[in-house]
Amino acid sequence: MRPSDPTAGHADLDTSPVTGQRRLAGDEGVWSFITADLCLFAVLFLLFMTERYKAPALFETSRQALDPLLGALNTLILLTSSWLVALAVHRAREGQRAAVRRHLTLAMLVGAGFALTKVYEYWHKIDAGITLLTNDFFMFYFALTGLHFLHYVGGMAVLALCLAKTRAEHQDARYLTWLESGGCYWHMVDLLWLVLFPMIYLLRAP
Amino acid sequence: MVERLKYLRFLTWCGPVFLAVFIVFWGILGHTIPPVPADLPAKDIGDMFRAEANGIRIGMGMAMMFAVFYLLWGLALAKIVEIGIEKDNNVLSTLAVWGAGLTVVPLMCSCVFWLAGAYRPEVLDDTILQLLYDMGWLMIDMCFWVTSVQMIALGMAFIQDPRREPLIPKWMAWYGIWVGVSFVAELLMPYFKGGIFARQGTLNFWIEFFVWFFWIVGLTTYMVSALRRLEAEARGATSTERAQAGEGVGKVAGATL
Repeated sequence: MRPSDPTAGHADLDTSPVTGQRRLAGDEGVWSFITADLCLFAVLFLLFMTERYKAPALFETSRQALDPLLGALNTLILLTSSWLVALAVHRAREGQRAAVRRHLTLAMLVGAGFALTKVYEYWHKIDAGITLLTNDFFMFYFALTGLHFLHYVGGMAVLALCLAKTRAEHQDARYLTWLESGGCYWHMVDLLWLVLFPMIYLLRAP
Repeated sequence: MVERLKYLRFLTWCGPVFLAVFIVFWGILGHTIPPVPADLPAKDIGDMFRAEANGIRIGMGMAMMFAVFYLLWGLALAKIVEIGIEKDNNVLSTLAVWGAGLTVVPLMCSCVFWLAGAYRPEVLDDTILQLLYDMGWLMIDMCFWVTSVQMIALGMAFIQDPRREPLIPKWMAWYGIWVGVSFVAELLMPYFKGGIFARQGTLNFWIEFFVWFFWIVGLTTYMVSALRRLEAEARGATSTERAQAGEGVGKVAGATL
């Protein structure tokens, strides 16, 4: 069991509420996670483009097997969900807990559509005999969208945690930091898809 | 509290020692940095074992001996968390020390596979030598989650440090969590013999291994300063306790008089 004052016993503790001007939304440490993740995906995007440059015909014919409408639908889903999370953060700053709960619930419901579309898309491809071993394009398609999907699952879990905290905790600076950090992560999931979608689904061979 | 910090400085330096030995002996002498490509014919791998048998024997033998240094370093980290951050709940530090200890197991086992290949390569078939080399890599790459548990547990603990200036910076805490999570890409390794996800690939070797190496070096740097601060805190707490005890004796003596 922890003592009643969790900061007891430490020499230089920050017990003051975080009320000052923050340069970044959310916890600063979360941004190092986001930066590292974006760097990793940037390298993966670069590798995709390098391989695409080596075999443009293969990548173009494979790309045509994808359904850009499903990709566009997922873009719309993630953008809407991200917008709802941004609204939730704004409402939290204004202290409107009911609105925060409503927006987070809606963000998760809309976000769930991404999983449905993606599972349908994967099932459709695998059913047609297309796997990550089919060729280099589909290796990247399954690997990149699969890694992104894992980020999406993590993001949905973070949103669920934020919703639980909204129900359970009183609203203070720490709670707001939680919510902003979760929102930043969700925007990153969105941002990655905004690069993945045109790069994989839309980019035609020169 | 000062007594509880005993040995930790020594254990902290076991991390860089492990890493140096790992790179030189396991990596360079043992022919795992860079890895022999998975798409190389079995004959080439067999020839490599026969030509470099002594180098692999020395490399893997030394790597096995020093692999346990990762556990020693991991114990220092877990103790810093337990003494400096956790107070009454030691779940995260326990997970961290288990993660470090279990990381040593696949490191050692994979070395045994490569050592087995170098033991009598002149009488073994090329495909058997290829199998042993593959098994070593599959063991070391696919057991990533034990190391992830250590990294994520440590990251979660460092984030909860309530000091105004944390013992370990938050960016390093989150970086560790990211590295631990990013190891999930290794799940793709068994599907590929070439390309970025193969054992010699850009992602699954050059990025994943080197972000882990950087984590070890970066964290060790901060561990040294964290230990210095914990020692200062411990000395401060001891002198305060002594002063309070002295004051208490004075009051008692005064009351008696």
